[in-house]
Amino acid sequence: MGPLSVGGSISAHGLGGAKDLPIPAELAIAGAVAALVISFTVLALAWREPRYDAATSGRPAPAWLDRLVSSRVLAVVARVLGMAFFLYVAAAAVAGKDSLINPFLGTFYVLLWVGLVPASLLLGPFFKAVSPVRTISMLFAKISGVPEGEGLYAYPARLGYWPAAAGLFAFVWLELVYPHSTDLGPVRLWTAAYLGIMLIGSAVWGTTFLARADPFEVYSSLVAKLSIWGRRQGVLVLRSPLANLDTVVPRPGLVAVVGVLFGSTAFDSFRESSAWLRLVQSMSMSRVLPDTLALITFSLGVALVLTVATMATGVTSDTLRRALPDLFAHAVVPIIVGYIAAHYLTYLVEYGQQTLIQLSDPLSRGDDYLGTADLQVNYWLSMHPTFVAVAKVLAVALGHVLGVVAAHDRAVKLLPPRHQLTGQLPLLVAMVGFTVGGLYLLFAA
Amino acid sequence: MSGRGLARLVPLALVVAVSLTACGGGDDADPPASTQPATEGDSVALTVTREGGEFTPNGERVELGVDQTLVLTVTADEAGDLHVHSTPEQEIAYEEGTSEHEITIDRPGVVEVESHEPDVVVLQLEVR
Repeated sequence: MGPLSVGGSISAHGLGGAKDLPIPAELAIAGAVAALVISFTVLALAWREPRYDAATSGRPAPAWLDRLVSSRVLAVVARVLGMAFFLYVAAAAVAGKDSLINPFLGTFYVLLWVGLVPASLLLGPFFKAVSPVRTISMLFAKISGVPEGEGLYAYPARLGYWPAAAGLFAFVWLELVYPHSTDLGPVRLWTAAYLGIMLIGSAVWGTTFLARADPFEVYSSLVAKLSIWGRRQGVLVLRSPLANLDTVVPRPGLVAVVGVLFGSTAFDSFRESSAWLRLVQSMSMSRVLPDTLALITFSLGVALVLTVATMATGVTSDTLRRALPDLFAHAVVPIIVGYIAAHYLTYLVEYGQQTLIQLSDPLSRGDDYLGTADLQVNYWLSMHPTFVAVAKVLAVALGHVLGVVAAHDRAVKLLPPRHQLTGQLPLLVAMVGFTVGGLYLLFAA
Repeated sequence: MSGRGLARLVPLALVVAVSLTACGGGDDADPPASTQPATEGDSVALTVTREGGEFTPNGERVELGVDQTLVLTVTADEAGDLHVHSTPEQEIAYEEGTSEHEITIDRPGVVEVESHEPDVVVLQLEVR
């Protein structure tokens, strides 16, 4: 049994006990200065001809690796494992106890939401390969004799990633704003609604719907663009993360996805800051409304800053000004991943272990199905706050470097030569703003 | 082109750098602590008041050492529980009237001391 089993009490503030200490001011300032120096160094010294091109980049992987990764056997094994894990956790969600030791909550908030980031960084589009809704939808298609992946209609291109942005917002609202986010009932209801919408959507629009609207799949596939795994005309290739990132297909709503992902993580730091806490607690109403407004403000704010900063450049008639935000949105992905790594490192490692222990006893009856029930959580990270703080600042700074280089390469590709330098300045300032803002929140929260 | 372009960037870099240091400098001001924790030897003493469903202090940050004892004097007009969101969690059950409770936290981190019904964060302990 895990330490959380004491009383099994329900926290009004999400999963978990102690949070990370704020990072020291010196480290935050060092990170901010590094971000500035890196930005202008890249601007001054980096290449002037675009380097990354999805059509040519990447080295073909060894033939045996391509055969293995593309094999039907591996695909089926991934689907079976994903489905088995889904059913196992679903049993805990349906038949388990309404308590924090129910592994459904840890699986949902920690293993799925946070764990999909490192999994996708290492393995590529991980969630797509194991996604239970994709598996169910493929089975339905097989039974009803519909050609694989097809729906009744073609997915409307102008919807782009907007449904995913809405789904991601629904998730972060549940996690960060909804007061009963760790009660079994509401989380189960959310998951049921998610499954229902995804299955209906994929019946109507085919699996393209899942690639555009499933919040977890879109998030995972976006992060996977920072892995080394890519495909070119169906062939498995190995790319540098930067070359891979350049292959993100800009679609409507990408800016909104990026806005929700970054804005919500920033809001998570902000809502625990002493100043905001004391403000919402001194109001006469519940904190749901002010928290919701703040979450919207953060998400919209990121999207708006990105939109304005990318459009504030000279263009020629070849490039539509209003297409620019989605064309540059990929450059914010590394900044998001760096900040999420910083924000969630301890949480993932410690509550991830906690969840693995709880998973052995899905119905909270004292079972030990996986043999992990007696393991103890290793709190090494919590005991070494300086190590954690340094790791956080390094993750944020590394994300910033990658983001700035990605934006630079896109700028020299898209912008007319005489606007290439001035045209990328507003975006550079916005990115420094995101990074410094993120560091400030890690310091002040 | 790029040399002149860079020269034009210098003022901008200066402005951002100055605003950054301004940001950094402003943060020395800690949140005003309305309740001054009294440090006596190895322990920190604090008073928590509950009156008509309202708690004082309201989400105050208090610094505490690892394994240092926090002595909480709770004065309440109604009995209830305080949850200490350390890992593992601890609970403080208080009676109507004035009572004294001791807690220690054995790991660094930010730990919330929270009341349920009403859901209010009373203290944030910054444990180092």
